[in-house]
Amino acid sequence: MSDWRRIDIDAFDPDCRLTANDLIPPYERQVTLQELQPKMEQLRTLSSGGDTRGAVQLITQDPPYSADDTTKNQYFQVVLETLSQVRQADIINIVKELNTEQQIVLVKYLYKGMSLPEGQKQGGILLAWFEKLTQSSGVTPIVHYLSDRRTV
Amino acid sequence: MSQSLRPYLTAVRHSLEAALTLSNFSSQEVERHNRPEIEVPIQSAELLLQPMHISRNENEQVLIEPSVNSVRVNIMVKQADEIEQILVHKFTRFLEQRAEAFYILRRTPIKGFSISFLITNKHTESMKTGKLIDFIIEFMEEVDKEISEMKLFLNARARFVAEAYLGEFVY
Repeated sequence: MSDWRRIDIDAFDPDCRLTANDLIPPYERQVTLQELQPKMEQLRTLSSGGDTRGAVQLITQDPPYSADDTTKNQYFQVVLETLSQVRQADIINIVKELNTEQQIVLVKYLYKGMSLPEGQKQGGILLAWFEKLTQSSGVTPIVHYLSDRRTV
Repeated sequence: MSQSLRPYLTAVRHSLEAALTLSNFSSQEVERHNRPEIEVPIQSAELLLQPMHISRNENEQVLIEPSVNSVRVNIMVKQADEIEQILVHKFTRFLEQRAEAFYILRRTPIKGFSISFLITNKHTESMKTGKLIDFIIEFMEEVDKEISEMKLFLNARARFVAEAYLGEFVY
């Protein structure tokens, strides 16, 4: 205990600082991968059947906020697949049909995609989505994204 | 400007516009201190906002880390080969050694990035936010051009030197 003056005593006080885990909103229950499986299947059938509009609507409704990180990542792979299958010309119309809530969810997926190596390979597609989204609704979804503690 | 660069830069611009809403915020931990919360080693999580990752591909990325009174902008400049790696390193080091002339430049980049900027509420109070964003966007545009120009110049110079040197041995 030679350098006891350097001990960070605040770290021992549980009420002193908030950690990232304290800020996650309390969820009633955690969504598991099994429960998401039918939704992922539905997304695959929608996007392979060419109904990209329906697929994007489904993605942006009720995202699995309460799931753990591995589940979210596995779910995100399907989301990324769906987003990259949409034709460039259709993006603007699909984005315009989303309401504000859905646009916030979409921007969360875009930022998440660009932070993962799988998404970075598709950087051009995600940037195209991002551009169309900001064209239709400006910085509003981004501001919501910044302060929202529910992650996808 | 190439077609794929434009969405990248507009994404960075919009993200910065959203992030640069800074307010004066005194330290919660140390009395009479006022420090950029993003740079504080043991942070209080409520002062940090969600980080924004914008990437064009694996080699060109921007990470914007916002907090209540400061924003850190990290840029990864395109480095296709070893020559470009050296050039980018030298170029960013040259700028970082003169960081006080750039006001918002950070002296060292954070790990994994080529160059970092730190914008605090002091900067947004004394300078126009729009112009700060313009500066960063312009920097991102120029740095790619600069590096490829330097690479061309370097190759031309190397060829000239090699010719002049090896010309001595021609009889």
